[in-house]
Amino acid sequence: MTHTTRYFLLAALLLAMPTAYAGESGAAVKADELKTEPFRDAKTVGKLTSGDKVEILKKDGGWFQVKSTRGNGWVRMLSIRRGEARKTSTGSEITGLAGLASGRAGTGRVVATTGIRGLNEEELKAAKFNEAELKRAESSLTSRAEAKKFAAKGKLTARKLDYLPDPEQGEQP
Amino acid sequence: MKPIANWLTGLGLLLCLGAAHGFNLGQELRNAASELQKPDKSSRLGGYSEEEETAIGRQIAGSLLGAAPLVKDQQLQKYVNNVGRWVASQSERPDLAWHFGVIESQDINAFAAPGGYIFVTRGLYRLLDNEAELAGVLAHEIGHVIRKHHLKILQQSKLVDLGGKLLAKQVGGDEKIHNLIGSGAEIVSRSLDKNAEFEADRIAVVLAARAGYDAFGLPEVLQEIGHSAAGNSGSVALLFKTHPHPDERLTKLGDAVGSNFDGLKGLTLANRFYRLKP
Repeated sequence: MTHTTRYFLLAALLLAMPTAYAGESGAAVKADELKTEPFRDAKTVGKLTSGDKVEILKKDGGWFQVKSTRGNGWVRMLSIRRGEARKTSTGSEITGLAGLASGRAGTGRVVATTGIRGLNEEELKAAKFNEAELKRAESSLTSRAEAKKFAAKGKLTARKLDYLPDPEQGEQP
Repeated sequence: MKPIANWLTGLGLLLCLGAAHGFNLGQELRNAASELQKPDKSSRLGGYSEEEETAIGRQIAGSLLGAAPLVKDQQLQKYVNNVGRWVASQSERPDLAWHFGVIESQDINAFAAPGGYIFVTRGLYRLLDNEAELAGVLAHEIGHVIRKHHLKILQQSKLVDLGGKLLAKQVGGDEKIHNLIGSGAEIVSRSLDKNAEFEADRIAVVLAARAGYDAFGLPEVLQEIGHSAAGNSGSVALLFKTHPHPDERLTKLGDAVGSNFDGLKGLTLANRFYRLKP
């Protein structure tokens, strides 16, 4: 298949898929292999090292299909961070914390138009116990049996899987 | 997906003990306070009966709802309870009276209180794209409940024994208790240990996968929160204050997951996902 055809098909696929990322940028946060398919046993077509930029094309379970200068293929999504660069997130973090420190956090948002309150510390502190609302919340309870029916309707099947140990402690949870 | 919110959870604790009326509170407090002096009391972790735990959780939940009421959409609330209960059924506490809800706040956050009370903000819910992402967010909060993370910090603050004792007698609260232990906000603005958050993340991907969902719903939401416009606004201030940054959480989660889930497939159920009315 020619490249042109392939890209055309890819474009068509992307349009059809809700989880398509349409060229969103990202970067590798750890070294990992690029695979021809979203499976561990698939052929390795390249290797990403931490900091490599990628273009995210789509997602399949725990895998991203990416384009990069190291090759094109599938890589584990947890090895990739979406977004331009790490400093973007650091910057936002600083902004958030600075906002809190100066007492402005949560007060600069435009909420007046909707009348919906935010949940900053002052508002939480001033909150009064609301029995009626709590009872309303409790009235929506779903029983275990009901939940099972709901799952079956969506074709969800329960399966066994062990908890993940903490990699730093090597302890079994 | 869109972003996230869950994380938040931790928060939840609003402990507000708040409101009760009518019995001899002063004497109760004195008795309870003297109990606290006994050395073995403060070291008892998670040793509450389910009844006490639920009483504490009810107080926190009722206070949170006092700050942000439920979204007035019964279908939405039922849907969230259906998803949440199915995920909670995969945990070691399947028979707790689990309650889930979406609350009116544009903030991006989620909260858990002891006894199985879990709330997601409208702001967080709006970031979600499918049922697997909702399941992942709720599963993180479920993780806090089953590991009793909030009860443990309450206990460390030495307020729990007191609070549980009083609450078990009478659900409600009182201005005096409120003054004694501080307002709900004080508790909410207290962060859980970072490791408790990482643990809840590890539990979340497993519970979602056990329930048949795509295990990566929560990581999707974290990615979104970490890098979207939402992540740069004041709507995540409280979340970021009480939780490690999403990038750090994703890194820890990546280390824990490794290649464990490589062959695991699950459903996202985007078609069934209940969309908020604009």
